[in-house]
Amino acid sequence: MADTTQMLKGILDGCLLSIIKEGEIYGYELAAKLESYGFHSFSEGTIYPLLLRMQKEGLVSTTLRKSTAGPKRKYYSLTEKGEQELEQFIIRWTQLSSSVNNVLNKGCFRNDCC
Amino acid sequence: MVSKRAEQFLVELRMYLISKGKNDQEINEITEELEDHLTEAEAAGKDVSHIIGDSPKNYMKSIGESMKTDYRQLAGLVPLMILLLTAYLSIGPAIEGTFSVSQGTIWFALVISSISILVYGLFLFKVMPKFFQSKWNYVLFTVTFLAVTGLMIAFMFWYKSQEFEVVFVATPAQNNLIIVLCAVIFIGAALYTKTWFTVLIPLFLSMGPIATRFVPEEANNDPLYITITILAFLLASAVAIAIFIFQSKKDQKKI
Repeated sequence: MADTTQMLKGILDGCLLSIIKEGEIYGYELAAKLESYGFHSFSEGTIYPLLLRMQKEGLVSTTLRKSTAGPKRKYYSLTEKGEQELEQFIIRWTQLSSSVNNVLNKGCFRNDCC
Repeated sequence: MVSKRAEQFLVELRMYLISKGKNDQEINEITEELEDHLTEAEAAGKDVSHIIGDSPKNYMKSIGESMKTDYRQLAGLVPLMILLLTAYLSIGPAIEGTFSVSQGTIWFALVISSISILVYGLFLFKVMPKFFQSKWNYVLFTVTFLAVTGLMIAFMFWYKSQEFEVVFVATPAQNNLIIVLCAVIFIGAALYTKTWFTVLIPLFLSMGPIATRFVPEEANNDPLYITITILAFLLASAVAIAIFIFQSKKDQKKI
């Protein structure tokens, strides 16, 4: 769904960082994990442009390892910069999601507003 | 092993990234990574579109945008191309022993080079990836090759009829020196780009001039010889093109 894809932009970065933090992982496994967490409506390949960018920005580092089938596999792990970015993301996300929830539930986050 | 559709996509992606001047090593990495992903996904019964989305073109674009353009690699390629083209254009006359420079030479070289770069570039990056799996590739390549060669010959006739003022005529020793220089450029380019066709194409192009230099004059007037030569050349070009396409397919599979 195109709408979900638009919304996912930016959020997916944080999710990828969070999954990579759990331990070294390669592309397909990463996509499969995302799917297992409930991300069904995005095309799996979307992660690669993001990974390329994160690699360029020094958030993740890569190592090539031999795989059982075919060519060498690229494994991703989190750098220190990546961990900091993930922390930032968690703060941003917590604020954003609570604001969105407030809007949707018409709740208030200031006690004196209603 | 990936499906034909996936393989087609990988070839298109590779050509797209090369045409955008991305770094060779990075191109290899991303295509290998995607091939690995596609292999696993297809083994799990997923369709290619599940990975790359509904528009392969948009997906290729998003990958390209996430990669740096390797200007250093590009900067190295431009002088190499100029040297190679100069060598391509000089080796024929040098072998025939008629190398000369006139005021029109630069224009002649410029027009021929731009036409061939444009046409072959379009073919290699835009047309060939689309027909990678089909036999049309052979037909299209032959047509492109014939069209460019035809254009060049037409232009050559026009050029000869213009009678530009000659400013430099090479002596026999200078002609031989030019041949050696060209050979050095071809071999150097082959080593640098790690492709063998930069050596094979000039060898192929030199066949004509070598023949004019060594075949006796009488043979040129005998229709039987001419027919045999044309047939032999057509056959040789067909074989060369077939080997080239076969080899590049094999290279792609290895990647």
